[in-house]
Amino acid sequence: MLVKDLTSPDNTASRVPVESPVRSAEGPQSLFQHLPSAPDEPFLHSCLFQVLSDEEKRKQYDAYGEEGLKDGHQSSHGDIFSHFFGDFGFMFGGNPRQQDRNIPRGSDIIVDLEVTLEEVYSGNFVEVVRNKPVARQAPGKRKCNCRQEMRTTQLGPGRFQMTQEVVCDECPNVKLVNEERTLEVEIEPGVRDGMEYPFIGEGEPHVDGEPGDLRFRIKVLKHPVFERRGDDLYTNVTISLVEALTGFEMDISHLDGHKVHIVRDKTTKPGAKLWKKGEGLPNFDNNNIKGSLIITFDVEFPKEQLTPEQREGLKQLLKQGSVQKVYNGLQGY
Amino acid sequence: MRGGRRLFPLLLLALLLLALLPGLCHGREPAPGAVTCGSVLKLLNTRHSVRLHSHEVKYGSGSGQQSVTGVEASDDANSYWRIRGKSDNSCQRGTPVKCGQAIRLTHVNTGKNLHTHHFPSPLSNNQEVSAFGDDGEGDDLDFWIVQCSGTYWEREDAVRFKHVGTEVFLSITGEQYGHPIRGQREVHGMPAANHHNYWKAMEGVFIKPSLDPAKHDEL
Repeated sequence: MLVKDLTSPDNTASRVPVESPVRSAEGPQSLFQHLPSAPDEPFLHSCLFQVLSDEEKRKQYDAYGEEGLKDGHQSSHGDIFSHFFGDFGFMFGGNPRQQDRNIPRGSDIIVDLEVTLEEVYSGNFVEVVRNKPVARQAPGKRKCNCRQEMRTTQLGPGRFQMTQEVVCDECPNVKLVNEERTLEVEIEPGVRDGMEYPFIGEGEPHVDGEPGDLRFRIKVLKHPVFERRGDDLYTNVTISLVEALTGFEMDISHLDGHKVHIVRDKTTKPGAKLWKKGEGLPNFDNNNIKGSLIITFDVEFPKEQLTPEQREGLKQLLKQGSVQKVYNGLQGY
Repeated sequence: MRGGRRLFPLLLLALLLLALLPGLCHGREPAPGAVTCGSVLKLLNTRHSVRLHSHEVKYGSGSGQQSVTGVEASDDANSYWRIRGKSDNSCQRGTPVKCGQAIRLTHVNTGKNLHTHHFPSPLSNNQEVSAFGDDGEGDDLDFWIVQCSGTYWEREDAVRFKHVGTEVFLSITGEQYGHPIRGQREVHGMPAANHHNYWKAMEGVFIKPSLDPAKHDEL
Protein backbone atom coordinates (compact mmCIF):
# COMPACT_ATOMS: atom_id res chain seq x y z
CA MET A 1 0.00 0.00 0.00
CA LEU A 2 1.46 3.32 -0.97
CA VAL A 3 -1.06 5.40 0.92
CA LYS A 4 -2.55 5.41 4.39
CA ASP A 5 -5.46 3.01 4.59
CA LEU A 6 -8.50 5.27 4.78
CA THR A 7 -10.80 2.51 5.97
CA SER A 8 -8.61 1.28 8.83
CA PRO A 9 -10.25 1.33 12.27
CA ASP A 10 -7.80 3.81 13.74
CA ASN A 11 -8.37 6.27 10.93
CA THR A 12 -8.77 9.66 12.54
CA ALA A 13 -11.40 10.52 9.97
CA SER A 14 -13.73 8.05 11.69
CA ARG A 15 -13.92 10.49 14.60
CA VAL A 16 -16.84 12.02 12.77
CA PRO A 17 -19.97 10.01 13.66
CA VAL A 18 -20.63 7.40 11.04
CA GLU A 19 -24.31 6.90 11.97
CA SER A 20 -25.17 10.51 11.09
CA PRO A 21 -27.78 10.64 8.30
CA VAL A 22 -25.91 13.59 6.88
CA ARG A 23 -22.74 11.63 6.47
CA SER A 24 -24.13 8.31 5.29
CA ALA A 25 -24.24 9.56 1.76
CA GLU A 26 -20.83 11.17 1.97
CA GLY A 27 -17.91 10.32 4.26
CA PRO A 28 -14.41 9.11 3.58
CA GLN A 29 -15.69 6.33 1.35
CA SER A 30 -17.03 8.90 -1.06
CA LEU A 31 -13.45 9.72 -2.03
CA PHE A 32 -13.29 6.31 -3.63
CA GLN A 33 -16.36 7.22 -5.70
CA HIS A 34 -14.08 9.70 -7.46
CA LEU A 35 -12.02 6.79 -8.72
CA PRO A 36 -12.79 5.90 -12.33
CA SER A 37 -14.38 2.50 -12.89
CA ALA A 38 -11.89 1.41 -15.58
CA PRO A 39 -9.65 -1.24 -14.00
CA ASP A 40 -6.39 -0.22 -15.66
CA GLU A 41 -6.36 3.32 -14.22
CA PRO A 42 -3.69 3.89 -11.56
CA PHE A 43 -4.94 3.29 -8.00
CA LEU A 44 -3.43 6.51 -6.76
CA HIS A 45 -5.98 9.01 -8.04
CA SER A 46 -4.98 12.61 -8.29
CA CYS A 47 -7.71 13.79 -5.92
CA LEU A 48 -6.58 11.36 -3.24
CA PHE A 49 -2.91 12.16 -3.76
CA GLN A 50 -3.53 15.89 -3.60
CA VAL A 51 -5.08 15.61 -0.15
CA LEU A 52 -2.46 13.30 1.26
CA SER A 53 0.61 15.06 -0.04
CA ASP A 54 -0.42 18.53 1.10
CA GLU A 55 0.32 18.70 4.84
CA GLU A 56 -2.29 21.37 5.50
CA LYS A 57 -5.03 19.63 3.51
CA ARG A 58 -4.13 16.31 5.08
CA LYS A 59 -4.49 17.72 8.59
CA GLN A 60 -7.87 19.13 7.65
CA TYR A 61 -8.99 15.83 6.18
CA ASP A 62 -7.73 13.91 9.20
CA ALA A 63 -9.67 16.13 11.58
CA TYR A 64 -12.83 16.96 9.75
CA GLY A 65 -13.24 14.44 6.93
CA GLU A 66 -14.24 15.33 3.45
CA GLU A 67 -16.67 17.97 4.66
CA GLY A 68 -13.79 19.77 6.26
CA LEU A 69 -11.93 19.99 2.98
CA LYS A 70 -14.92 21.41 1.17
CA ASP A 71 -15.83 24.06 3.72
CA GLY A 72 -12.29 24.88 4.70
CA HIS A 73 -13.27 24.50 8.33
CA GLN A 74 -10.92 26.12 10.74
CA SER A 75 -13.24 25.61 13.66
CA SER A 76 -12.35 23.59 16.73
CA HIS A 77 -13.15 19.95 17.35
CA GLY A 78 -16.09 20.82 19.54
CA ASP A 79 -17.77 22.85 16.82
CA ILE A 80 -17.94 19.92 14.45
CA PHE A 81 -20.04 18.03 16.98
CA SER A 82 -22.40 20.94 17.58
CA HIS A 83 -22.69 21.26 13.78
CA PHE A 84 -24.14 17.78 13.58
CA PHE A 85 -26.01 17.59 16.85
CA GLY A 86 -27.37 21.12 16.66
CA ASP A 87 -29.04 20.33 13.36
CA PHE A 88 -31.00 17.49 14.83
CA GLY A 89 -31.68 18.80 18.28
CA PHE A 90 -31.13 15.46 19.93
CA MET A 91 -28.33 13.02 20.53
CA PHE A 92 -28.47 9.95 18.36
CA GLY A 93 -27.59 6.78 20.20
CA GLY A 94 -28.02 8.68 23.44
CA ASN A 95 -24.32 9.01 24.14
CA PRO A 96 -22.17 10.96 21.70
CA ARG A 97 -19.01 9.94 23.49
CA GLN A 98 -19.53 6.32 22.56
CA GLN A 99 -19.42 7.12 18.89
CA ASP A 100 -16.08 8.82 19.24
CA ARG A 101 -13.66 6.01 19.60
CA ASN A 102 -10.58 8.15 19.70
CA ILE A 103 -11.04 10.08 22.95
CA PRO A 104 -9.52 7.95 25.71
CA ARG A 105 -11.84 7.35 28.60
CA GLY A 106 -11.28 6.39 32.22
CA SER A 107 -12.87 3.22 33.59
CA ASP A 108 -16.42 3.04 34.89
CA ILE A 109 -16.93 2.22 38.55
CA ILE A 110 -19.92 0.04 39.43
CA VAL A 111 -21.00 0.22 43.07
CA ASP A 112 -23.58 -2.28 44.31
CA LEU A 113 -26.16 -0.47 46.41
CA GLU A 114 -28.09 -2.75 48.77
CA VAL A 115 -31.65 -1.62 49.35
CA THR A 116 -34.34 -2.98 51.63
CA LEU A 117 -37.89 -3.73 50.55
CA GLU A 118 -39.02 -0.83 52.75
CA GLU A 119 -36.92 1.47 50.61
CA VAL A 120 -38.36 -0.04 47.44
CA TYR A 121 -41.85 0.68 48.78
CA SER A 122 -41.35 4.22 50.04
CA GLY A 123 -38.26 5.35 48.18
CA ASN A 124 -35.18 6.83 49.85
CA PHE A 125 -32.15 9.02 49.29
CA VAL A 126 -28.60 7.79 49.87
CA GLU A 127 -25.91 10.37 50.40
CA VAL A 128 -22.47 9.46 49.22
CA VAL A 129 -19.12 11.23 49.30
CA ARG A 130 -17.11 10.79 46.12
CA ASN A 131 -13.38 11.29 46.62
CA LYS A 132 -11.57 11.24 43.30
CA PRO A 133 -8.43 12.62 41.63
CA VAL A 134 -9.13 15.66 39.49
CA ALA A 135 -6.76 17.09 36.90
CA ARG A 136 -5.56 20.53 37.90
CA GLN A 137 -3.28 22.90 36.02
CA ALA A 138 0.41 22.60 36.76
CA PRO A 139 3.32 24.60 35.38
CA GLY A 140 5.00 23.45 32.20
CA LYS A 141 4.02 21.16 29.37
CA ARG A 142 3.65 17.45 28.95
CA LYS A 143 3.27 14.95 26.15
CA CYS A 144 -0.25 13.77 25.50
CA ASN A 145 -2.32 11.81 22.94
CA CYS A 146 0.69 9.70 22.07
CA ARG A 147 -0.02 7.43 19.16
CA GLN A 148 1.69 5.30 16.57
CA GLU A 149 1.58 6.76 13.11
CA MET A 150 2.78 5.57 9.73
CA ARG A 151 5.09 8.03 8.06
CA THR A 152 5.75 7.86 4.39
CA THR A 153 9.18 9.05 3.29
CA GLN A 154 10.32 9.29 -0.29
CA LEU A 155 13.55 7.46 -0.97
CA GLY A 156 13.74 8.30 -4.60
CA PRO A 157 11.52 8.85 -7.63
CA GLY A 158 8.51 6.53 -7.26
CA ARG A 159 10.03 4.79 -4.22
CA PHE A 160 8.47 5.26 -0.80
CA GLN A 161 9.16 3.86 2.61
CA MET A 162 6.63 3.47 5.45
CA THR A 163 7.91 3.67 8.98
CA GLN A 164 6.16 3.60 12.33
CA GLU A 165 6.68 6.56 14.56
CA VAL A 166 5.43 7.56 18.00
CA VAL A 167 3.90 10.98 17.71
CA CYS A 168 2.76 13.04 20.68
CA ASP A 169 0.96 16.33 21.02
CA GLU A 170 1.95 18.96 23.52
CA CYS A 171 -0.57 19.78 26.20
CA PRO A 172 -0.58 21.96 29.28
CA ASN A 173 0.77 20.09 32.24
CA VAL A 174 -1.73 18.65 34.70
CA LYS A 175 -1.45 17.03 38.08
CA LEU A 176 -4.01 14.85 39.83
CA VAL A 177 -5.40 16.29 43.06
CA ASN A 178 -7.94 14.47 45.27
CA GLU A 179 -11.24 16.29 45.60
CA GLU A 180 -14.45 15.41 47.36
CA ARG A 181 -18.05 16.05 46.55
CA THR A 182 -21.35 14.78 47.90
CA LEU A 183 -23.64 12.90 45.56
CA GLU A 184 -27.19 11.87 46.27
CA VAL A 185 -28.63 8.68 44.84
CA GLU A 186 -32.40 8.46 44.79
CA ILE A 187 -33.91 5.04 45.36
CA GLU A 188 -37.12 5.42 43.42
CA PRO A 189 -40.22 3.55 44.60
CA GLY A 190 -40.66 0.30 42.69
CA VAL A 191 -37.01 0.09 41.63
CA ARG A 192 -36.00 -3.37 40.44
CA ASP A 193 -32.93 -5.48 41.12
CA GLY A 194 -30.12 -4.68 38.70
CA MET A 195 -31.32 -1.21 37.74
CA GLU A 196 -28.52 1.34 37.58
CA TYR A 197 -28.24 5.00 38.50
CA PRO A 198 -25.34 6.52 36.56
CA PHE A 199 -23.36 9.61 37.45
CA ILE A 200 -21.65 10.74 34.28
CA GLY A 201 -18.00 11.65 34.68
CA GLU A 202 -17.70 10.52 38.30
CA GLY A 203 -15.74 7.38 37.48
CA GLU A 204 -11.97 7.00 37.07
CA PRO A 205 -10.27 10.02 35.55
CA HIS A 206 -8.05 9.83 32.48
CA VAL A 207 -5.22 12.38 32.11
CA ASP A 208 -5.48 12.47 28.33
CA GLY A 209 -9.21 12.18 27.98
CA GLU A 210 -12.50 11.99 29.75
CA PRO A 211 -13.39 10.41 33.06
CA GLY A 212 -15.48 7.25 33.14
CA ASP A 213 -18.86 7.04 34.83
CA LEU A 214 -19.92 6.01 38.31
CA ARG A 215 -22.87 3.63 38.28
CA PHE A 216 -24.86 2.52 41.30
CA ARG A 217 -26.41 -0.89 40.75
CA ILE A 218 -29.44 -1.69 42.89
CA LYS A 219 -29.39 -4.96 44.83
CA VAL A 220 -32.71 -5.63 46.56
CA LEU A 221 -32.21 -7.53 49.84
CA LYS A 222 -34.41 -10.42 50.96
CA HIS A 223 -37.06 -9.51 53.51
CA PRO A 224 -38.04 -11.65 56.54
CA VAL A 225 -41.78 -11.13 56.01
CA PHE A 226 -42.44 -10.29 52.38
CA GLU A 227 -41.33 -11.90 49.14
CA ARG A 228 -41.32 -9.79 45.99
CA ARG A 229 -42.48 -11.05 42.64
CA GLY A 230 -42.65 -8.18 40.19
CA ASP A 231 -44.96 -5.66 41.79
CA ASP A 232 -46.70 -8.26 43.97
CA LEU A 233 -45.79 -9.17 47.52
CA TYR A 234 -46.24 -12.63 49.03
CA THR A 235 -46.48 -13.44 52.71
CA ASN A 236 -47.55 -16.34 54.94
CA VAL A 237 -49.64 -16.38 58.08
CA THR A 238 -50.01 -19.29 60.49
CA ILE A 239 -53.36 -19.47 62.32
CA SER A 240 -54.60 -21.86 64.96
CA LEU A 241 -57.02 -24.67 64.18
CA VAL A 242 -59.70 -22.86 66.19
CA GLU A 243 -59.17 -19.69 64.18
CA ALA A 244 -59.26 -21.69 60.97
CA LEU A 245 -62.59 -23.23 61.92
CA THR A 246 -64.28 -20.33 63.67
CA GLY A 247 -62.88 -17.26 61.98
CA PHE A 248 -60.52 -14.51 63.15
CA GLU A 249 -59.47 -10.87 62.75
CA MET A 250 -55.89 -9.60 62.47
CA ASP A 251 -53.58 -6.85 61.18
CA ILE A 252 -50.47 -7.22 59.07
CA SER A 253 -47.87 -4.44 59.36
CA HIS A 254 -46.88 -3.29 55.89
CA LEU A 255 -43.47 -2.00 54.73
CA ASP A 256 -44.23 1.59 55.63
CA GLY A 257 -45.93 0.68 58.89
CA HIS A 258 -49.55 0.97 57.78
CA LYS A 259 -51.84 -1.92 58.79
CA VAL A 260 -53.52 -4.31 56.41
CA HIS A 261 -56.71 -5.49 58.09
CA ILE A 262 -57.92 -9.07 57.64
CA VAL A 263 -61.30 -10.33 58.79
CA ARG A 264 -62.44 -13.94 58.27
CA ASP A 265 -65.76 -15.24 59.52
CA LYS A 266 -65.84 -18.36 57.40
CA THR A 267 -63.58 -21.40 57.68
CA THR A 268 -60.05 -20.91 56.42
CA LYS A 269 -58.51 -23.97 54.84
CA PRO A 270 -54.75 -24.64 55.03
CA GLY A 271 -53.17 -23.24 51.86
CA ALA A 272 -55.98 -20.76 51.35
CA LYS A 273 -54.92 -17.55 49.63
CA LEU A 274 -56.21 -14.08 50.29
CA TRP A 275 -55.71 -11.50 47.55
CA LYS A 276 -55.38 -7.88 48.72
CA LYS A 277 -55.36 -5.59 45.71
CA GLY A 278 -53.33 -2.39 45.92
CA GLU A 279 -51.25 -3.67 48.84
CA GLY A 280 -48.24 -4.69 46.78
CA LEU A 281 -45.32 -2.58 45.60
CA PRO A 282 -45.69 0.59 43.51
CA ASN A 283 -44.96 0.13 39.84
CA PHE A 284 -41.65 1.74 38.86
CA ASP A 285 -43.06 3.45 35.78
CA ASN A 286 -46.27 4.61 37.42
CA ASN A 287 -46.15 4.86 41.20
CA ASN A 288 -49.93 5.19 41.40
CA ILE A 289 -50.37 1.60 40.27
CA LYS A 290 -49.63 -0.90 43.00
CA GLY A 291 -49.41 -4.65 42.84
CA SER A 292 -51.24 -7.01 45.17
CA LEU A 293 -50.44 -8.61 48.49
CA ILE A 294 -51.10 -12.36 48.43
CA ILE A 295 -51.43 -13.96 51.86
CA THR A 296 -51.24 -17.74 52.17
CA PHE A 297 -52.59 -19.31 55.36
CA ASP A 298 -51.39 -22.43 57.07
CA VAL A 299 -52.95 -24.01 60.13
CA GLU A 300 -51.26 -25.00 63.35
CA PHE A 301 -52.89 -27.97 65.03
CA PRO A 302 -53.13 -28.19 68.85
CA LYS A 303 -50.00 -29.75 70.29
CA GLU A 304 -51.69 -31.76 73.01
CA GLN A 305 -53.25 -35.11 72.19
CA LEU A 306 -57.01 -35.35 72.76
CA THR A 307 -58.66 -37.43 75.46
CA PRO A 308 -61.27 -40.04 74.43
CA GLU A 309 -64.04 -37.75 75.71
CA GLN A 310 -62.74 -34.84 73.64
CA ARG A 311 -62.55 -37.07 70.60
CA GLU A 312 -66.14 -38.23 71.06
CA GLY A 313 -67.24 -34.64 71.63
CA LEU A 314 -65.55 -33.48 68.44
CA LYS A 315 -67.13 -36.26 66.40
CA GLN A 316 -70.54 -35.09 67.62
CA LEU A 317 -69.78 -31.43 67.03
CA LEU A 318 -68.30 -31.59 63.58
CA LYS A 319 -70.67 -34.18 62.17
CA GLN A 320 -68.16 -35.02 59.41
CA GLY A 321 -68.19 -38.62 58.21
CA SER A 322 -65.07 -40.60 57.62
CA VAL A 323 -63.26 -39.69 54.39
CA GLN A 324 -60.44 -42.02 53.44
CA LYS A 325 -59.73 -41.15 49.82
CA VAL A 326 -56.51 -42.59 48.42
CA TYR A 327 -55.14 -40.80 45.37
CA ASN A 328 -51.98 -39.66 43.63
CA GLY A 329 -51.38 -36.20 45.09
CA LEU A 330 -48.23 -35.52 43.10
CA GLN A 331 -49.89 -35.73 39.72
CA GLY A 332 -52.84 -33.47 40.47
CA TYR A 333 -55.55 -36.10 40.48
CA MET B 1 -21.47 52.56 60.43
CA ARG B 2 -22.54 52.70 64.08
CA GLY B 3 -25.41 50.35 63.26
CA GLY B 4 -22.90 48.08 61.57
CA ARG B 5 -20.90 47.64 64.79
CA ARG B 6 -23.98 46.44 66.63
CA LEU B 7 -24.97 44.14 63.82
CA PHE B 8 -21.62 42.41 63.58
CA PRO B 9 -21.78 40.35 66.82
CA LEU B 10 -25.39 39.42 65.95
CA LEU B 11 -24.24 38.27 62.53
CA LEU B 12 -21.47 36.25 64.13
CA LEU B 13 -23.97 34.62 66.45
CA ALA B 14 -26.29 33.83 63.54
CA LEU B 15 -23.43 32.28 61.61
CA LEU B 16 -22.40 30.23 64.64
CA LEU B 17 -25.95 28.96 65.03
CA LEU B 18 -26.14 28.07 61.35
CA ALA B 19 -22.90 26.14 61.66
CA LEU B 20 -24.21 24.28 64.69
CA LEU B 21 -27.67 23.66 63.26
CA PRO B 22 -26.70 20.71 61.04
CA GLY B 23 -25.00 19.21 64.06
CA LEU B 24 -28.19 19.63 66.07
CA CYS B 25 -30.44 18.14 63.40
CA HIS B 26 -28.17 15.23 62.55
CA GLY B 27 -26.96 14.84 66.08
CA ARG B 28 -27.82 11.17 65.96
CA GLU B 29 -25.36 10.47 63.10
CA PRO B 30 -22.13 9.27 64.64
CA ALA B 31 -18.73 9.97 63.13
CA PRO B 32 -19.53 11.74 59.84
CA GLY B 33 -16.04 10.95 58.56
CA ALA B 34 -16.22 7.23 59.28
CA VAL B 35 -15.83 4.47 56.75
CA THR B 36 -19.10 2.58 56.43
CA CYS B 37 -20.19 -0.83 55.18
CA GLY B 38 -21.09 -0.80 51.52
CA SER B 39 -18.46 1.83 50.72
CA VAL B 40 -16.03 1.25 47.88
CA LEU B 41 -12.53 2.60 48.38
CA LYS B 42 -8.82 2.48 47.60
CA LEU B 43 -6.32 1.81 50.39
CA LEU B 44 -2.93 3.50 50.43
CA ASN B 45 0.00 2.01 52.29
CA THR B 46 1.34 5.09 54.02
CA ARG B 47 4.95 3.92 54.23
CA HIS B 48 5.37 2.96 50.57
CA SER B 49 2.74 5.18 48.88
CA VAL B 50 1.17 2.40 46.86
CA ARG B 51 -2.44 1.31 46.67
CA LEU B 52 -3.83 -2.13 47.46
CA HIS B 53 -4.63 -3.74 44.14
CA SER B 54 -5.68 -6.99 42.54
CA HIS B 55 -6.16 -8.25 39.00
CA GLU B 56 -6.68 -11.43 37.04
CA VAL B 57 -3.08 -12.55 37.46
CA LYS B 58 -2.42 -15.63 39.56
CA TYR B 59 0.58 -16.32 41.74
CA GLY B 60 3.11 -18.63 40.09
CA SER B 61 3.95 -20.18 43.43
CA GLY B 62 2.36 -20.67 46.84
CA SER B 63 -1.39 -21.15 46.55
CA GLY B 64 -1.64 -20.21 42.85
CA GLN B 65 -4.60 -17.98 43.72
CA GLN B 66 -5.24 -14.49 42.36
CA SER B 67 -2.45 -12.14 43.38
CA VAL B 68 -2.75 -8.96 45.45
CA THR B 69 -0.16 -6.22 44.94
CA GLY B 70 0.60 -2.57 45.62
CA VAL B 71 0.48 -0.15 42.67
CA GLU B 72 1.70 3.41 42.29
CA ALA B 73 -1.06 4.62 39.97
CA SER B 74 -3.91 6.54 41.59
CA ASP B 75 -6.37 6.08 38.73
CA ASP B 76 -6.55 2.32 38.35
CA ALA B 77 -10.06 0.93 38.72
CA ASN B 78 -8.60 -2.40 39.84
CA SER B 79 -7.64 -0.83 43.17
CA TYR B 80 -11.21 -0.56 44.45
CA TRP B 81 -12.29 -2.69 47.42
CA ARG B 82 -15.74 -2.93 48.95
CA ILE B 83 -16.18 -2.96 52.73
CA ARG B 84 -18.52 -5.66 53.98
CA GLY B 85 -19.38 -7.20 57.31
CA LYS B 86 -18.59 -10.73 58.42
CA SER B 87 -21.83 -12.01 56.97
CA ASP B 88 -24.46 -10.58 54.68
CA ASN B 89 -26.72 -9.26 57.44
CA SER B 90 -24.08 -8.26 59.95
CA CYS B 91 -23.23 -4.79 58.65
CA GLN B 92 -26.00 -2.81 56.98
CA ARG B 93 -25.32 -0.24 54.31
CA GLY B 94 -24.14 2.99 55.91
CA THR B 95 -23.19 1.49 59.29
CA PRO B 96 -19.85 2.95 60.44
CA VAL B 97 -17.10 0.39 60.97
CA LYS B 98 -15.94 0.23 64.59
CA CYS B 99 -12.33 -0.13 65.63
CA GLY B 100 -11.86 -3.81 66.44
CA GLN B 101 -14.65 -4.92 64.12
CA ALA B 102 -14.05 -7.79 61.70
CA ILE B 103 -14.77 -7.01 58.05
CA ARG B 104 -14.27 -8.44 54.60
CA LEU B 105 -12.64 -6.52 51.77
CA THR B 106 -14.07 -7.58 48.43
CA HIS B 107 -12.23 -6.68 45.23
CA VAL B 108 -14.83 -4.86 43.15
CA ASN B 109 -13.75 -5.91 39.66
CA THR B 110 -13.15 -9.62 40.31
CA GLY B 111 -15.52 -10.33 43.22
CA LYS B 112 -12.79 -12.02 45.30
CA ASN B 113 -12.10 -11.33 48.98
CA LEU B 114 -8.80 -10.21 50.53
CA HIS B 115 -7.48 -13.43 51.98
CA THR B 116 -4.37 -14.89 53.60
CA HIS B 117 -3.24 -18.36 54.60
CA HIS B 118 -0.17 -20.42 55.48
CA PHE B 119 1.66 -20.09 52.19
CA PRO B 120 4.93 -18.19 51.77
CA SER B 121 4.90 -14.96 49.76
CA PRO B 122 6.97 -15.17 46.56
CA LEU B 123 9.52 -12.38 47.11
CA SER B 124 10.00 -11.86 50.82
CA ASN B 125 8.96 -15.24 52.24
CA ASN B 126 6.39 -13.63 54.52
CA GLN B 127 2.78 -14.87 54.41
CA GLU B 128 1.07 -14.84 51.03
CA VAL B 129 -1.95 -12.53 50.67
CA SER B 130 -4.32 -13.45 47.87
CA ALA B 131 -7.78 -12.67 46.53
CA PHE B 132 -10.10 -15.62 47.03
CA GLY B 133 -13.70 -16.59 46.52
CA ASP B 134 -16.49 -16.20 44.05
CA ASP B 135 -18.86 -13.26 43.73
CA GLY B 136 -17.96 -12.07 47.22
CA GLU B 137 -18.24 -15.44 48.93
CA GLY B 138 -14.99 -17.00 50.15
CA ASP B 139 -14.30 -18.68 53.47
CA ASP B 140 -13.35 -18.01 57.10
CA LEU B 141 -9.91 -16.76 56.13
CA ASP B 142 -11.43 -13.63 54.55
CA PHE B 143 -11.91 -11.76 57.85
CA TRP B 144 -9.73 -8.84 58.92
CA ILE B 145 -9.96 -6.77 62.09
CA VAL B 146 -9.68 -3.01 61.66
CA GLN B 147 -7.19 -1.80 64.27
CA CYS B 148 -7.43 1.86 65.06
CA SER B 149 -7.57 4.20 68.03
CA GLY B 150 -10.91 5.72 68.80
CA THR B 151 -14.40 4.35 68.28
CA TYR B 152 -14.84 4.23 64.52
CA TRP B 153 -12.57 3.80 61.49
CA GLU B 154 -12.13 7.41 60.39
CA ARG B 155 -11.25 8.11 56.77
CA GLU B 156 -8.49 10.48 57.83
CA ASP B 157 -6.72 7.91 60.00
CA ALA B 158 -4.13 5.34 59.11
CA VAL B 159 -5.31 1.94 60.34
CA ARG B 160 -3.96 -1.59 60.49
CA PHE B 161 -5.66 -4.74 59.23
CA LYS B 162 -5.08 -7.79 61.38
CA HIS B 163 -6.08 -11.17 60.01
CA VAL B 164 -8.54 -13.07 62.17
CA GLY B 165 -7.38 -16.58 61.30
CA THR B 166 -3.58 -16.21 61.28
CA GLU B 167 -3.02 -13.01 63.32
CA VAL B 168 -0.76 -11.34 60.72
CA PHE B 169 -0.91 -7.69 59.65
CA LEU B 170 -1.52 -6.64 56.03
CA SER B 171 1.85 -5.15 55.02
CA ILE B 172 4.21 -4.04 52.29
CA THR B 173 7.97 -3.93 52.75
CA GLY B 174 8.94 -2.72 49.28
CA GLU B 175 9.90 -5.81 47.25
CA GLN B 176 8.99 -5.31 43.59
CA TYR B 177 7.78 -7.75 40.98
CA GLY B 178 9.19 -8.06 37.49
CA HIS B 179 7.38 -8.95 34.30
CA PRO B 180 4.37 -9.10 33.75
CA ILE B 181 3.54 -6.81 36.68
CA ARG B 182 6.72 -4.80 36.71
CA GLY B 183 7.03 -2.24 39.49
CA GLN B 184 4.13 -3.54 41.55
CA ARG B 185 4.97 -4.22 45.18
CA GLU B 186 4.46 -7.44 47.05
CA VAL B 187 1.63 -7.39 49.61
CA HIS B 188 2.01 -9.94 52.39
CA GLY B 189 1.10 -10.70 55.96
CA MET B 190 3.63 -10.22 58.72
CA PRO B 191 3.29 -10.91 62.45
CA ALA B 192 4.91 -7.66 63.63
CA ALA B 193 2.97 -4.42 64.01
CA ASN B 194 5.13 -1.67 62.57
CA HIS B 195 5.12 1.28 60.18
CA HIS B 196 4.86 -1.08 57.17
CA ASN B 197 1.31 -2.04 57.98
CA TYR B 198 -0.48 1.31 58.09
CA TRP B 199 -3.20 1.91 55.49
CA LYS B 200 -5.33 4.95 54.73
CA ALA B 201 -8.62 5.24 52.84
CA MET B 202 -8.11 7.34 49.71
CA GLU B 203 -10.27 7.66 46.60
CA GLY B 204 -13.64 6.02 46.68
CA VAL B 205 -17.39 6.20 47.02
CA PHE B 206 -18.15 6.58 50.70
CA ILE B 207 -21.70 5.99 51.85
CA LYS B 208 -22.52 8.54 54.52
CA PRO B 209 -23.02 7.08 57.98
CA SER B 210 -26.64 6.60 59.00
CA LEU B 211 -28.29 4.89 61.93
CA ASP B 212 -31.66 4.40 60.29
CA PRO B 213 -31.40 4.08 56.52
CA ALA B 214 -35.18 3.86 56.14
CA LYS B 215 -35.83 7.45 57.18
CA HIS B 216 -34.93 10.67 55.43
CA ASP B 217 -35.35 14.07 57.03
CA GLU B 218 -36.22 16.94 54.74
CA LEU B 219 -34.64 19.89 56.54
